[in-house]
Amino acid sequence: MSMLYDEGQQAIATESRRVLDARMAKERLLALLDQVGVIDRPFWDTAVEQGWTALAIPEAFGGLGLGLVELGLVAQAAGAATSGAPFLTSGYGLSSALIGSGNAALQQAWLPRLASGEVTAAVAFAEGNTVLPAQPAVTLSGGKLNGGKPAVVGAASADVALVWASAGGQPVLALAELAGVERRAVSSYDNTRLHADLTFRDTPVQVVAEGAAAHALALDVLARMAVVTAHEQVGGAEALLHIARDYAVTRKAFGQPIGAFQSIKHRIAEMYGLVEIARANCIHAAASEGQPGFLIAAADARISATEAYDTNARDCMQIHGGIGVTWELGLHLHMRRARSLAAEQGSLLFWEDLLVNQLTGEAA
Amino acid sequence: MSEIETFRQNARAFLEKMAPKYGRDARAGNTVEQDLALGREYMAARYDAGFGGINWSPEVGGQGLSNMHKIAFDAEEMQFGMPVQFFGISLGMPVPILIHYCQDKAFVKERVRKALRGEEIWCQMFSEPSGGSDLAALRTRVEPDGNGWKMNGQKIWTSWAQYCDYGVIVTRSDPTVEKHKGLTYFWIDMKSPGVEVRPIKLAGGDSHVNEVFFDDVRLEDEQRLGAVGGGFGVALHTLMIERYIATDSAGFGPHLDEFVKLAQEVEINGKPAIEDGRIRSAIARNHAMRAGLDSITKRAFLMMQAGMQPGPEGSLQKLVAVRSRQKLSELAMDLKGNEGFAFDPHAFVKTDWGTSWLNAPTGRIAGGSDEVLLNTIAEKVLGLPQDHRPDKGVPFNQIPA
Repeated sequence: MSMLYDEGQQAIATESRRVLDARMAKERLLALLDQVGVIDRPFWDTAVEQGWTALAIPEAFGGLGLGLVELGLVAQAAGAATSGAPFLTSGYGLSSALIGSGNAALQQAWLPRLASGEVTAAVAFAEGNTVLPAQPAVTLSGGKLNGGKPAVVGAASADVALVWASAGGQPVLALAELAGVERRAVSSYDNTRLHADLTFRDTPVQVVAEGAAAHALALDVLARMAVVTAHEQVGGAEALLHIARDYAVTRKAFGQPIGAFQSIKHRIAEMYGLVEIARANCIHAAASEGQPGFLIAAADARISATEAYDTNARDCMQIHGGIGVTWELGLHLHMRRARSLAAEQGSLLFWEDLLVNQLTGEAA
Repeated sequence: MSEIETFRQNARAFLEKMAPKYGRDARAGNTVEQDLALGREYMAARYDAGFGGINWSPEVGGQGLSNMHKIAFDAEEMQFGMPVQFFGISLGMPVPILIHYCQDKAFVKERVRKALRGEEIWCQMFSEPSGGSDLAALRTRVEPDGNGWKMNGQKIWTSWAQYCDYGVIVTRSDPTVEKHKGLTYFWIDMKSPGVEVRPIKLAGGDSHVNEVFFDDVRLEDEQRLGAVGGGFGVALHTLMIERYIATDSAGFGPHLDEFVKLAQEVEINGKPAIEDGRIRSAIARNHAMRAGLDSITKRAFLMMQAGMQPGPEGSLQKLVAVRSRQKLSELAMDLKGNEGFAFDPHAFVKTDWGTSWLNAPTGRIAGGSDEVLLNTIAEKVLGLPQDHRPDKGVPFNQIPA
């Protein structure tokens, strides 16, 4: 896959940005912050209507047969707009797992419904800061799942979950329908990510992968999701760069635009540097999908994008001064999102270790 | 295989043939003069093999290939550590400017051939004691003298001037107009009467830069490049020429692999340093940053190949890479503890952490300081306002000193 976007990919980037610019409203997002477990319906309806749920699913299953590059571009637009509803990423996580599993029956059962947006998915791997726990608290026995996963992204409204569990001491990836599962929405600092604690009690599941294969597949799914999230982070970081720049050329102090002061303009130039380095890593990672070195590329993208979004959220607010910390201006939507995305798919602590392990040839 | 890849392979084959005599390892322990002599030999061999003036027109003695061919060659050559440092500026800026502005084509042709073969070296004289980043503040002056000019003043930080045969120089020809409007550009013979070169020993122990003094130096009007008063434009043109240069995400210091190797060899608190979280974090952050720079370079290359103009993000390379090299060098020295005290000023900066560390500040200042680069990104890429410039619109001789 080339590292240069072709015309179709550029059109996806432009169109997704245009649609979200027209439909996303800051007031709605601010109101959603105070509501626990409520989905950002207008965004999700737009995602389904635009076919974004179908982007990376093969045509044989009702998808568009595109890949990580295209999904990444949409995620970038979604990140710029601090769009709620995390299902583009987690839906891609589940569809990647099903495709990777080679299980035709599961693919037939779920991929068309994921593509059409009829079904939304959550990915329940992490427990606390352990991204793929060696001894998960959720266990599978006799085809039934038991145990809890804390604060799973999207779980407050998802229809199904891909769960990292253990079966007789061996890792397993299981697909659970959430209809009968106890879920307690978590009141979080970024409520549209729909965090919820899941408690499984004899929940029937379908096994996607077991043993060493489950571990390899989970890692691949995690890396793919991390690349989508990294694009979302780049979109957010770039939006903050533009907001900061626009403010610095209009706001005046001491008789001149504040952007004429080097303390401000250099800070904004540094923001630009972080965005471009993260963007370049994202493009490289998306283009290396399925190739050797993908894990390293995903880690590079994830680390640089997390640094870019966190830093730009901090610095954009700082450049705004007092107005920056008001509820109404809404910069805190980005600040909140920067942190929630920093923890989704594993934090820097996880990806730094994974990257060094890869570089030194140790197993992750 | 693409034509560029074939070219790259041919370049590699040539370099491998040259390496046993001219490569980094072959030159260990050499003096600068020995390296210069080998460098001249290597340049002649490079020219004869068809790798001199790769992206220059055949009319002046170049190969007539694209900028990408040159970048491809430079990237390969960098890995061998050939003794080309003496010729980088010469062929990078002054000689292309001579080709562009000098009217005497026979003279140009002879100079180009000799410069490409390493027989002659050119320097670039811009910076002065009164201003480095503020180029237009220069004070070296020329006055009409018969049908030519007479020059007096001083330049500084002139790389390799002590070995140079010719140079290009920006001077002030009219102090009564705004500072950047009264400049005129010339080439000069460095052996002219009244030119004195004094090497400056730098912090790292080497003396590759110089002060150059001019005492009533005679310049013919034929040596003028561009219009009288047009020197600032020619100077900007000079700085724009080398947009297509090979970059190095290691900031021209050691590769990250060298750091990983070191971290695997030494221990912290009785455990391999590679298991220490602080070291792991530094490795991961540096890797992510350098991989990003490499991807920017790779994309720029692909864009040029496709006939497109690469984005402005290429301007981040030096800024980001050299800063990180500086910090990583410090951390590497920390890892070595008191075994890091031993220092060889002539060690190779791409494999030795001590020399990398001590020479890194030069990299953050030369060719546009970090601060100037940040200003350029802010103003040219992001559209932020210029700094307050009290000397704007003021005749040079009325600017308070």
